[in-house]
Amino acid sequence: MSPARSNRVLQFFLRLLPADFRQEYGREIESDFRHQAREAGATPGGAARLWRSTIAGIVRTAPSEHFRILRQDLGYAWRMMRRSPGYSFAVIFILALGLGANTAIFSAVDGVLLRPLPYPGGDRLVTLTQGAPLAGAADMRFSVDDINDYRQQTHTLEDLVEYHNMQFDLLGQGDPRRVNTGVVSHNFFDALGVKPLYGRTFVAADDSIGAPAVLVLSYEFWKRDFGGDPGIVGRTFRMNDRIHTVIGVLPPMPQYPDQNDLYMPVSACPFRSAPAFIANRKARMMTVFGHLRPGVTLAQSEQELKTIAARLRTSYPAAYPASADFSTHADLVKASLTNPARPTLLLLLATSGLMLFIVCANVANLNLTRHVRRERELAVRAALGAGRARLLRQMITESALLSLIGCGLGVMMAKAALPLLAGFAARFTPRATEITLNIDVLAFSLGLALLAGLFFGALPALASGRDLAEPLRAVGGRTATGRSGRFRGLLVGAQVAFAFLLLAGAGLLLRSFYNLTQVNPGFRSDHVVSMLVQLNFARYATNDKVVQFNRRLLQEVQRNPAVLSAATASTFPLNAVRPRIAAFEIQGRQRGPNEPAPTFDFHSVSPGYFKTMGIAMLAGRQFSPDDALNTPDVVIINRSMQDRYWPHHDAIGHSISTDGKNWAMIVGIVDNVKSYGLDKPPGDELYASNAQSPSNSSSLLVQTRGDPAAVVPQLTAAVHQIDPDQPVAKIRTLESLRDDSLAPARLTGTLLGLLALLALAITAAGIGGVLGLEVAQRTKEIGIRMTLGARRSDVIGGIVRQGLTPVAFGLAAGCGVAIVSTNALQGILFRVEPRDPAVLALVALALLSAAAVACLGPVRRAVSVDPMRTLRLE
Amino acid sequence: MQREFDASVPSTEPLTPALFHVLLALADGDKHGYAIMKEVHRLTAGAANLSAGTLYGILRRLLEAGLVTEVSSRPAPELDDERRRYYHLTKSGHAAAQAETERLEATLAIARSKRFRLKARTS
Repeated sequence: MSPARSNRVLQFFLRLLPADFRQEYGREIESDFRHQAREAGATPGGAARLWRSTIAGIVRTAPSEHFRILRQDLGYAWRMMRRSPGYSFAVIFILALGLGANTAIFSAVDGVLLRPLPYPGGDRLVTLTQGAPLAGAADMRFSVDDINDYRQQTHTLEDLVEYHNMQFDLLGQGDPRRVNTGVVSHNFFDALGVKPLYGRTFVAADDSIGAPAVLVLSYEFWKRDFGGDPGIVGRTFRMNDRIHTVIGVLPPMPQYPDQNDLYMPVSACPFRSAPAFIANRKARMMTVFGHLRPGVTLAQSEQELKTIAARLRTSYPAAYPASADFSTHADLVKASLTNPARPTLLLLLATSGLMLFIVCANVANLNLTRHVRRERELAVRAALGAGRARLLRQMITESALLSLIGCGLGVMMAKAALPLLAGFAARFTPRATEITLNIDVLAFSLGLALLAGLFFGALPALASGRDLAEPLRAVGGRTATGRSGRFRGLLVGAQVAFAFLLLAGAGLLLRSFYNLTQVNPGFRSDHVVSMLVQLNFARYATNDKVVQFNRRLLQEVQRNPAVLSAATASTFPLNAVRPRIAAFEIQGRQRGPNEPAPTFDFHSVSPGYFKTMGIAMLAGRQFSPDDALNTPDVVIINRSMQDRYWPHHDAIGHSISTDGKNWAMIVGIVDNVKSYGLDKPPGDELYASNAQSPSNSSSLLVQTRGDPAAVVPQLTAAVHQIDPDQPVAKIRTLESLRDDSLAPARLTGTLLGLLALLALAITAAGIGGVLGLEVAQRTKEIGIRMTLGARRSDVIGGIVRQGLTPVAFGLAAGCGVAIVSTNALQGILFRVEPRDPAVLALVALALLSAAAVACLGPVRRAVSVDPMRTLRLE
Repeated sequence: MQREFDASVPSTEPLTPALFHVLLALADGDKHGYAIMKEVHRLTAGAANLSAGTLYGILRRLLEAGLVTEVSSRPAPELDDERRRYYHLTKSGHAAAQAETERLEATLAIARSKRFRLKARTS
């Protein structure tokens, strides 16, 4: 190796040592190395040994030297903190707010979006959907034959298991309860890789004919209803007229697609295990899960599923009519679980990031201000031999210490806020249970804290210029270099710009929320209570029995003097139970061969439903007690359906059918209601009398004179008077359902609003602090100007101009970026344009006002300067 | 066999071999860094080899502990290298080396009482 190259390599390794150590001993090390190299070159392998020992020596020495300096700097930083408790507390507190918000929100992003599903192979877990788009059905589900055929024919998927959800009555523990039940293949949990917390999950023997009925409880149900009793395994309950034994409890895990209370094998479900159901290829009820085989992509699997679907259409045309265009596709379960929460969580993360920047800019300004007061101290140290790098390292250490203490406090704040955040996220995804402060989140928080410390620690050094000794030569004490002042102005402008973005985003969301509250839902939500009454399939096996129960129930309920009106319905607006979607045809109209079948959302309701719900009748008549099982079928449609299919004349008197054989006449038209959400458009809805289309699963809806919650015990008693074993569930007022539908928008807007207000306060404090420093440093100049005849108004004008100039630039920049970037909010805004001029104007006004208020203190200080006293001091 | 020694901060505690060898190297007169390395190599018959990267870390610690000091007097200009600094063993350094010597002798006496002997060197 040539001497020049050798020297370059040595210099490279010397950089591992601290700068002041290199400064002190670097030349000697180089000189000694050269001498050693000359001697080593004379022996075989000597040069290599020398390099090895030299590099090893440097690598061993470097950490202890760095650690020694770090110990010194930390001790110094601690003393400086204690000497300025006010500054230290302010910085730590502000940083804690910014870092805490980021930690909390990142924990949600990490738990929901970033972490793999808590199942082995979770990233390859897919759900299959069989649809018949031309029949108006996006999801037909699968029959037993469907599942067996896909299982046998697929080469791209493995571990295909089935799932469907039912509600059953659980008896044997207090009042009868309706439980959400997942009915699954015996290897469902094995395929997911889920191990039970207690007991066992299902085995093949549990699914054989005649096997004892068994149950596995979900973790949430076990904790909530059985107090987390480990002795639950072995207990028995009665369900569907059979004794079921609890064999296991699941661990905490996100449940998909439903939050079930318990699980049973398919053999225990009376519907799924019925021979007629198993033999009927068209009896479709189940969802299918599976894993992509290793090395197989989703696209490859999709292609194969199309092929299998085509084969089935050819083999069984009656079960897969060409007019319906049956097809099957696969979706990653992870995407289904995370996509609903993604936009909101990413918005919150961006918001907290902006807020952290504002916090860091504010702290940097505080640090710059403090740096001005420490310039002489640093200049003295520089004159005594401390290099620029050494001083910079020390300033960064001081800042990092403050930052790390702020981070610790912020993490504690985040931990306290986590349950609230998880509750918020649970509205969007079942993965909210995975939100925790884990090692990844803590590492993120620590990384942010160190970056923040680096940013606001290094800034004073960058702002002060290269000549550290300059303050010693300055006459008259403290100086504020123009460069430092420009940096401060830049930081104020940046804070204002980011605060503008935050406030604009919050303003748009809050306006969106307000618009939502003004939406007329089309139905009455006050003074109405609902409860789910799902009749046991075995005890109410015929339509007559269902109709009789509903009739008796309404008679009992309407005897109550507190009740104004009552009805039963298969579902109602904003309810979790979605209406069944049915394809239909209009009598006298032909559909084209490739034209998709029209569909409606089907409701089965009692007379008095529209009165109880306050839904306006637009034409025709309501259902009456004369509409019965043995009278011609009648239906009522909504305005949307009327306008779509009979735009030019009245639909009343026309007939529709869902099977081409049985026709129902339209006898009434009601107004639209917001069934799926206040921000969603109404669908096409059709109502049938539940005396003619009875449903085992109905909700009782009661309009009351006073507080609807007060009549709930009486309503429950009325149900039990008819059938003591009949459970009631999901007791809610419609007001609370409406509030729930508004909750995501309200919470998101409120959260963003709070962060934005905090950012505004921090920004205003920053403006006031910087301007205060400027005034303090210009006291002499102000005194001289006033002595020479300057008026107070001139002084005030100058101060205000100085304070508001960076604010003005920040507003302009913030407004410009907001106009471009708020488009990203389009998907979650309701009846608000992203560039709403009123919101942007209000934000600008708020920031200007806050800045003006922040200038008051410095202005007061400036006008109180006594010119004669200032001159005497000079 | 040549080996590198680890360094540690000298105090009333036992000295590391590397620190002790540096003090011994300075015992018979002031030296600059390269001369110290050569002296250690000579004293240990090549068994110990201080690299430049290690030596100056040791010297900094010895300077900080007051066991060694830099000297202002320099040799004759024709023998001097202005890049080099000369190091002098202080009284404290002398005392530390003395204490370490006594400690090692006491340890050696214990080993001998247990019938351990020096092996004859074969290389």
